[in-house]
Amino acid sequence: MKSITFLLFALILSFSACKEQAAEKNSCCSTKPAMAQKTSGGMPETSLYQLNQQWKNQNGEPVQLSDFKGSPVVMTMIFTHCEYACPMMVNDLKMVEDQFTEKHQNVKFVLISFDHERDTPDRLLEYAKTQQLGENWVLLHGHAGKVKELAMVLDISYEQLENGAFAHANKKFVLNAQGELVFSQEGLQTKAEPVLKALNKLL
Amino acid sequence: MIRYLGSWILAGLILSGVGLSAQEDMSLIPAGSYTPFIKGITEEVEVEGFLLDKYAVTNADFLEFVKANPDWSPENVKSLFADSGYLTHWPVNYLNDKDLESNMEPVVNVSWFAANAYCKWKGKRLPTLHEWEYAALALPKNDSDSAALTRINSDWYSRKTAVHAKVGSTYENQYGVWDMYGLVWEWVDNFNTVISNEDSRNNEDAPQGLFCGSASLNASDASDYVAFIRFAYRGSLKANYTTRKMGFRCAKTIK
Repeated sequence: MKSITFLLFALILSFSACKEQAAEKNSCCSTKPAMAQKTSGGMPETSLYQLNQQWKNQNGEPVQLSDFKGSPVVMTMIFTHCEYACPMMVNDLKMVEDQFTEKHQNVKFVLISFDHERDTPDRLLEYAKTQQLGENWVLLHGHAGKVKELAMVLDISYEQLENGAFAHANKKFVLNAQGELVFSQEGLQTKAEPVLKALNKLL
Repeated sequence: MIRYLGSWILAGLILSGVGLSAQEDMSLIPAGSYTPFIKGITEEVEVEGFLLDKYAVTNADFLEFVKANPDWSPENVKSLFADSGYLTHWPVNYLNDKDLESNMEPVVNVSWFAANAYCKWKGKRLPTLHEWEYAALALPKNDSDSAALTRINSDWYSRKTAVHAKVGSTYENQYGVWDMYGLVWEWVDNFNTVISNEDSRNNEDAPQGLFCGSASLNASDASDYVAFIRFAYRGSLKANYTTRKMGFRCAKTIK
């Protein structure tokens, strides 16, 4: 009798586990499965695309980060009135793009602005033009709260200074097709190779 | 002391005017300025008047939030937003736990994201680092000894084990806010802010200047070792971290 109860119990357990976490390999016992295997909404739990935020791109179109699902993304945060660090950051990314071949055609560059006040979609479009950024570059504008949340997820510390500029950490990231961070690089005038290498692993 | 007088009078006026409609669980922190522990410069930082929760958010409060927002339950929370320590001090059957329902200890093991979401749910927000530090500078009520806070802090930091105590059990400050020191560490909105005065060219993730001699020379009060620890600790956090000693309270902008 005891063993039958146990079996029943195990059956119920495994059934409910399957229902809830179909994509999970190791759904046996723990209510908190290993992080890497946890998924939610068809995406890994650690995916940036779990951030359910609305942004606007340089064309004024609404964009969710999860719209980038399916292709590798190179991501960073900037602001367009930045005179020194951000142009260098964008330049670093252009150097990466310069070495792209056919297989990189789906890679997107996503730049998110710290400056929710001044970096309107119009301003971002203007910036994209002056910087001669191609179609595969997306510049995003969003409210302060969203910027904060994203910066928190990316672990980018920043602060708005009294003159309206932003002091911020300079980091570049590579996201896989699922929106998980697979690579990060800190600093300016960095080498393109490590970013390319991270991208190539995904292609 | 004189320079605070103006803000006290103003505070009194605001309190007697709009104060009646102000929430009873929040205190008005009058506008003023303070010198942060480390800014790289010795400039004072201006803080606008704001409302601050009198008490840290309790387990009972947070249980209500989790019930109303199942996304933030220990089972459902995503690891992007909270690490595996999230609410691990709660019983497994927390939904039907009478003790938890009335537990007045500050909630801990919550991430910045969870704290942020809670405050939003309440129509509030997390206090900024400057707001928190400024409000925490107020002396205990009826205490004019400027060393009082240092004593509270040193006693607290030298305690080896975490003491489980209820909110409102340490001291009330001159704004009517309880337990700023002595109970739990608290999340602030911009805990990972760039604190040192380095420009964006060479700043690093953590305020590294905090740990070396050059920057500590810039500290506004070199004797304020406890503030040093607090700032350094914040710099080591990430927004999905949870710890047994970290809770939070909410703030509100005065409209």
